[in-house]
Amino acid sequence: MDIDGTTTDLHVSRLRAQVIATEAQLRSLKEQLVAAEQHAEAARHLNDAYLGGMPAEWIGEALSRPAGRRWPLEDEEYKRYGRQLIVPEVGLHGQLRLKNAKVLVIGVGGLGCPAAAYLAGAGVGTLGLVDADDVELSNLHRQIAHSTERIGTSKVDSALEYLQALNPLVNYIRHPFALIAERALQTICAYDLVLDCTDHPTSRYLVSDACVIAQKPLVSASALKTEGQLIVLNNPPRPPGDASGGPCYRCVFPTPPPAESVLSCGEGGILGPVVGVMGVLQALEAVKLLTAKPKPQANFVNLTTDFGDTESTKPSLLMFSAYSMPQFRSVRMRPRRKDCAVCSAQPTISAQSLTSGSLDYIAFCGVTTPVNLLPPALRMTASDFSQLPRDGSNVLIDVRDETQYAICALRGSINVPWTGNADSWLEQGVLRGALAQDGRDRYIICRLGNDSQLAAKAVIDRMSDQLAFATVKDIKNGFRAWRAEVDPSWPDY
Amino acid sequence: MSIPRAPQGHFTLLYFAAATSFTRKQYDFFPAPVKVAQLYDMLETKYSGIKAKVLDSSALTVNLDYVDVGEEAGKGEAGMLIHDGDEVAIIPPVSSG
Repeated sequence: MDIDGTTTDLHVSRLRAQVIATEAQLRSLKEQLVAAEQHAEAARHLNDAYLGGMPAEWIGEALSRPAGRRWPLEDEEYKRYGRQLIVPEVGLHGQLRLKNAKVLVIGVGGLGCPAAAYLAGAGVGTLGLVDADDVELSNLHRQIAHSTERIGTSKVDSALEYLQALNPLVNYIRHPFALIAERALQTICAYDLVLDCTDHPTSRYLVSDACVIAQKPLVSASALKTEGQLIVLNNPPRPPGDASGGPCYRCVFPTPPPAESVLSCGEGGILGPVVGVMGVLQALEAVKLLTAKPKPQANFVNLTTDFGDTESTKPSLLMFSAYSMPQFRSVRMRPRRKDCAVCSAQPTISAQSLTSGSLDYIAFCGVTTPVNLLPPALRMTASDFSQLPRDGSNVLIDVRDETQYAICALRGSINVPWTGNADSWLEQGVLRGALAQDGRDRYIICRLGNDSQLAAKAVIDRMSDQLAFATVKDIKNGFRAWRAEVDPSWPDY
Repeated sequence: MSIPRAPQGHFTLLYFAAATSFTRKQYDFFPAPVKVAQLYDMLETKYSGIKAKVLDSSALTVNLDYVDVGEEAGKGEAGMLIHDGDEVAIIPPVSSG
């Protein structure tokens, strides 16, 4: 019995140990089951999110993560772009599209600086910068990527330094030269989207033509004084002749403005925030285009409705007037012109005409030649003028506008702004006592020496037979010459 | 500045960019109706030289819709009318930046 009793006790304790072990195993199995269930649930949610929250077209993009990585973006990118990543209009797929996008910014000035800054900040994968100019002191009030210490360096390199510091994850490509017709296509073809941030009609037509031929959408903006314009062109970027493609610059403005009426920012002036607003809006339109969600293919959508006919891609021209109410006006544009020189079915401009250089954009937009109306005898140099006696025997008429006259003027001069119209200017001149019949000599001066000739000619042609002015001359090259030859302290605005 | 409402029987013509510089105005009121095709000649009479210097290269809109002036010129009697109370705008291209 003892043996039996001992054996039984042993058996009991073994069974107890087995129960404890099995219970522990069961607990562990249950825990594993819960974990496995949770994992399965999470996987199902993730899958649902991919399938349900994301159209099938995007799944490839979202799952195209680097090998061995769990998430499609780098750790740093979730943090860096987190604030826009959680905006539903962008989301993960939008961020991935930005990362895969190649954007070309043509012109790194008042528009290109803010546009490039926001695109780099947003995480555009590849950003190309085109500009042939160097940074100047007079750029800095609006061209926010440049700096005082980088005056004299190329705008592309200056902007690159700024953008690298802003976001080193972007692949920047330097194009430190002017875009010319011969290489425009080659440059543009390497990108998905183009921003026209240039400053002249010749480049506006060239960039637009090249984008139509290369089938790239174009975000175009401009600004002068207190006004700006913004338009998304060639969107969708269908081939020339396809009426469902978006209109191009020539469809909106088929005729270039007369060359002599085109003002640069140096001539017409520009408010920094005005051009800044336009550049920022360009970046916004670029982000919208790049992150656009594919149109839903659901049954209720009329499949015959073309992508290009939807409200979101209907072309509109946005006009900004800083000092008007309302400040913004959006104008509905028409589709492509049937007779457009580049995007119609009968284009006269082709890839061949661009690359061969046979298209002369400068001739198309017209050339301004310096005004040369007066014979040399009727022009006086600034230094000769400075030698004249100040005894009241002569009158200096300053034809700059009131704003410039108020910045700096020669004592005793009379301000009669040249308005482009000889009759109204002469009338003003008489009203302000600048053209009284007193026999005194008249000298006419302006900023650079163009308007002064026009005004002098108006006096000579229309008044000299009635009024006995001993002399009517203009000051050659205006106050620019005055500063260079006579007074180096004259404000160099 | 905001633009006042056009008087009865008139339409508003807004000027932008080079059109503002040329006319030295932000807007004008003109008696309606006027054919779009006749608008530029009417403006040339009031502002001599504006056609070649500004209008020929500008976009024109009526009530925020782009209107093709060349196309209108070929329509004759069937051409579009600008009505009492309409807002018409001269939009020259701005090219600098």
